[in-house]
Amino acid sequence: MRDISREVLDKIKEEGIVPRPKRYFILRRSTVWILFCFSIILGSIACSTVIFRVKNAEWDLFHHFKGNLLEFLLIYTPYFWGIFMIFFSFIAYYYFRQTQGGYRFRAITIIILSLLISVAGGMGTYSAGITERMETVFEEKLPFYHGVSFHSRMVWMSPDKGLLAGRISDITKSGSFLLNDLDGNEWHINAEGAVWRGRLTPSTGLEIKLIGTRIGPNSFRADEVRPWHGRKNRGAKDRHN
Amino acid sequence: MSQMPLHTLYNQMTDEELVRYSLHDENAFYILMKRYEPALLRYINRIMQASREEAEDLLQEIFIKVYRNINGFDINLKFSTWLYRIAHNEVISQYRKNRRYRSSLNIDDAVNDSRLLVNFLTDTFNMESDYLVREMGVEVKKVLEKLAPKYRDVLVLRYLEELSYEEISDIIQKPSGSVATLLNRAKEKFKKLAEQYQLERK
Repeated sequence: MRDISREVLDKIKEEGIVPRPKRYFILRRSTVWILFCFSIILGSIACSTVIFRVKNAEWDLFHHFKGNLLEFLLIYTPYFWGIFMIFFSFIAYYYFRQTQGGYRFRAITIIILSLLISVAGGMGTYSAGITERMETVFEEKLPFYHGVSFHSRMVWMSPDKGLLAGRISDITKSGSFLLNDLDGNEWHINAEGAVWRGRLTPSTGLEIKLIGTRIGPNSFRADEVRPWHGRKNRGAKDRHN
Repeated sequence: MSQMPLHTLYNQMTDEELVRYSLHDENAFYILMKRYEPALLRYINRIMQASREEAEDLLQEIFIKVYRNINGFDINLKFSTWLYRIAHNEVISQYRKNRRYRSSLNIDDAVNDSRLLVNFLTDTFNMESDYLVREMGVEVKKVLEKLAPKYRDVLVLRYLEELSYEEISDIIQKPSGSVATLLNRAKEKFKKLAEQYQLERK
């Protein structure tokens, strides 16, 4: 009968097999914990972006969608970031399971806890103003990152619903100007009596959003003008006649 | 110090003490292996269809893996639990490689295993335990073989290896609650299969 233990011992001695060093296991365990924390941080960022998007959504435009709540929500709900947040909670769960005692907890408990930590982290990140700065930096530095403007573009390129956005290409006369919309089409804008929000001064190259009525194939009467970047109520209201 | 007294000393040590000594002396690891060789060999045979040689080769691989990873031994676990965990994972990985995961039908082993399985079989089928052990050994083992690996695993660990829920949880790395659920399902599946094989009527 084989003495397996003896055979193994001989093999260990002959082949010079040695135990892996302790630091190997410390590094492996630390890596798992770092990846878990990293997933939670990314989940928190995703959550803070959700909060930022929801808080900065232009909910007052709902009436332009003539009661079509679903269409409005589809445009403004940051589902992509929501999915991201859930995705990172699952990743966090995966890494937590790899920790020494992680398997002792039920999957649902870990996932819910990861989500809660992400939500708490997201609220903290948002409150600290980090999300807004991040959005600004991403939009400026990353050409592929459309950020909030992606949703805004979908909403504001709806002249038939009374919403239009673009860049002023020429000031024709007081209260009127030419606007190149986000698709590059030229519009004659009549902004007499329009409310200019956010301390705006009409000038060539200014990026704006208009609320008003389409009055012709390429003509639009503006009742309200908002800055393309930033929030509508930032700054005082000005009226330009 | 001569070889013999050192071995005697090692023999008196706990598993956990031997783990510490194994880092500096392979002979301490030899004592550890000797302690678990029969139990692990039996465990491999119970959950995997393999010839004796194959099972022994696998056990060798398991012991070498244990030795390589001995610095990673989780001190929160019993050494035996950690050892079974590695064995369990190795058997699973072997199964994935070969898709072979059925126990061999050694009649003596089967009768012995049945004796252990009686704990829950007598409750489930209301049969005389002696009858089950003597007459149904092979049949019981056959039914056990037909079970999906995950169900067979928990039944083997619980009723043949006689481990607690917590130990099984540490071995298969699932929460204790899931172990209990798995075990209940395994019993139900076993009962259905047993009915299919007319185990009750024999």
